[in-house]
Amino acid sequence: MVPSAAKQHRPGRGSTLASRSELSAFLESVERRAFKQAVYAVREQEAALDIVQDAMLRLAEKYGQRPAGELPMLFHRIMQNAIRDWYRRQKVRSLWITLLSSLSPGRDDEGDDPLETFEAPDGSNPQAPGSELERAQVLEIIEQEISRLPERQREAFLMRYWEELDVAETARRMGCSEGSVKTHCSRAAHALAAALKARGVAP
Amino acid sequence: MNEMQFGNKVRQVLNRGLTGVQPATAERLRAARERALTRQRTELSPAMAWADNLLGRVGGWGGAAWRILVPLAMLVLAVVGLQYWQQNQRIAEIEEIDAQLLSDDLPIDAYLDRGFQNWLKQRGEQ
Repeated sequence: MVPSAAKQHRPGRGSTLASRSELSAFLESVERRAFKQAVYAVREQEAALDIVQDAMLRLAEKYGQRPAGELPMLFHRIMQNAIRDWYRRQKVRSLWITLLSSLSPGRDDEGDDPLETFEAPDGSNPQAPGSELERAQVLEIIEQEISRLPERQREAFLMRYWEELDVAETARRMGCSEGSVKTHCSRAAHALAAALKARGVAP
Repeated sequence: MNEMQFGNKVRQVLNRGLTGVQPATAERLRAARERALTRQRTELSPAMAWADNLLGRVGGWGGAAWRILVPLAMLVLAVVGLQYWQQNQRIAEIEEIDAQLLSDDLPIDAYLDRGFQNWLKQRGEQ
């Protein structure tokens, strides 16, 4: 067996490694949406940025040599793991905050959901239809309600309807059955539609 | 409106949100992307490339399995080698004793032993 020189691509194995330009193109195409999805999940811009940055690094370092076609699913899994890690750390943080606040009586509840304090625009006095402001308001409301969905429902709904993946691919990335995907999507859509209606937004 | 139509409308709104990402945020995302690219390993070291090629012929194993199997194989080889060495040590010790036995003079008492004398006579007759 003759040792081969290090090569950038090795077509002999049936699939080429992702080149730098392929990884670059992929990251560029998903970075904004990934950031938005992280914001919906963790509701903090800084935390969302950290999550996306870490996910990009991990993808490049550990999986930078996988075939380009595998990058989307790998990146999705990395992102989901990072988000779950963040939730776990938040639980620990909240526990400490609760413990500490119980030691000093009379403190305000720090568990306010920042989204709750946002004053949603009154749907009964709409701006001129189709105006920039109105559309920005609709966007904000939809984003808030998506944030309120249970994690798995949001995951399935966004993959099906934002990333436009089919049921099979969604199930594969989520690691669940196709039936589960359909259930998640259906529940998410109903919850979202009901919430939007309650806030006076008609898609 | 069915689910698909609803989903499509939501998508249109969310895509608008993508263009509305703050420039500062977009810049930080771009910087993160550049940083990640510098860490991409596009070239394997020669040793890894050789190992990878080897596996390409063996077929089917990922690099992760290889990283477990090689140390495991080395461990097995080390254990086997150790046992072999220990066995050799024991053999050498026994050889030494045998050599001493064979080369030493007979103890005086052997000449006094009647059974031994008879045995010698028998052997002499053969």
